[in-house]
Amino acid sequence: MSKLKLLAGIPATVTVALIGWSCETNRTALAPPAGGPLFHFQQFECTPLKMTGGGRIDYPPGTRDKNPPASHEYETFGAHVIASGQVDENGTCLADKGALEWVDHRPEMEVNGHPLNLHATEVTFAERATDASCSDGAVHWGGKLRVQNTGQENLDFEVWDCDNGEPGRDDGFAISVPEIGYTVQCWEPDYNTPAEPTCYLTGGNRQFHPTH
Amino acid sequence: MKTDSIRRAVRFVGLVLPLTWAPRAVMAQGTATCSSYGVGVTTATVNQLLASAVVSAGELMAQDQAGDVAVPGLVTAQNVFAIANGGGDDGSDAVSSATLGAVNILNGLITADGVVAMATSTVGDANAEGSSLAHLVVNGVDIDDNPAPNTRMDLDGVGYVVFNEQIRTSTGITVNMIHVVLQQNVLGVTRTTGHIRVGSASAKVS
Repeated sequence: MSKLKLLAGIPATVTVALIGWSCETNRTALAPPAGGPLFHFQQFECTPLKMTGGGRIDYPPGTRDKNPPASHEYETFGAHVIASGQVDENGTCLADKGALEWVDHRPEMEVNGHPLNLHATEVTFAERATDASCSDGAVHWGGKLRVQNTGQENLDFEVWDCDNGEPGRDDGFAISVPEIGYTVQCWEPDYNTPAEPTCYLTGGNRQFHPTH
Repeated sequence: MKTDSIRRAVRFVGLVLPLTWAPRAVMAQGTATCSSYGVGVTTATVNQLLASAVVSAGELMAQDQAGDVAVPGLVTAQNVFAIANGGGDDGSDAVSSATLGAVNILNGLITADGVVAMATSTVGDANAEGSSLAHLVVNGVDIDDNPAPNTRMDLDGVGYVVFNEQIRTSTGITVNMIHVVLQQNVLGVTRTTGHIRVGSASAKVS
């Protein structure tokens, strides 16, 4: 049986070898620059993508180690975005759809006695970051959200989303809602971070899907 | 010239024809499902799930919240949220979470200031990282806030409780941060009469 499997693999190997031979070498390609980028989420491309998953961030201090549970210094969330690489007349890379549910459990962030709860009402843009050191993929995306505690809505938000390998221990996420001065972001050297401004997940996973 | 023609032919056979096999490739993709809930009570007279989010195969996200909840005599909890995330049509990942503020079970027999249940599953891995209990107290005694998976304690006259219960299968994981098993002794035979689960998250990829 194992010999049969071995034989079955030979045509595939030959096919790969032939295809490789048939593609001419790109002799003008430049060697990749040495060393990693100093900054992240500065360069983007508009391409079909999907990012899914959710998780937990312990912020502050934004490290991979969980805060003591009694501190309640953490946020939990679920989020996804899908884009097909379409650009509008303003040059914005459009999102097809998406969702964000964000809960900040820090006592100091409570509103009306309950954790701050942000709910996306619209996801408008999504662009793939090409300079972030996230091994599987990085996406900058955002839109409009509502503060569930107060009903305040149509607030712009943006997130920085990093899939840095499986199963998620090295992934990162960050959010900003400028109109209410709310940010959960981690910057070197003060915080350990997979790619600025994202903070390490202390649970959960971000999953980048190059195409969908 | 002849070599170029051969190369073009090989490229066609190797790169274009496989596109016609796409439906088979789609069939080979995985299935992701996940769910979470804040409080689940099952007894002879009560069957309740409070703040429950369920993502079926092919779906992306569900969420629910219940604010402050009470099942009289059995459990109260504050600020209950449940979020479940699937991978959509390619089903390669699932993450779910249930979070609660202060929890009181069986009129103060078990209390906690906060509960997080988090389950993550990807192809080849499943874990409960991110799950935690804050200031856990049982019968007036402080308990380690980070109990090892499947830590069991007997509860005299009630049954027993399992903290950080982790149930693993070949496709994923279910975590119940507090699982009280209600028992009664009838004529020398111990019978299970109900379950109270607080903070439950499940994620599966197959």
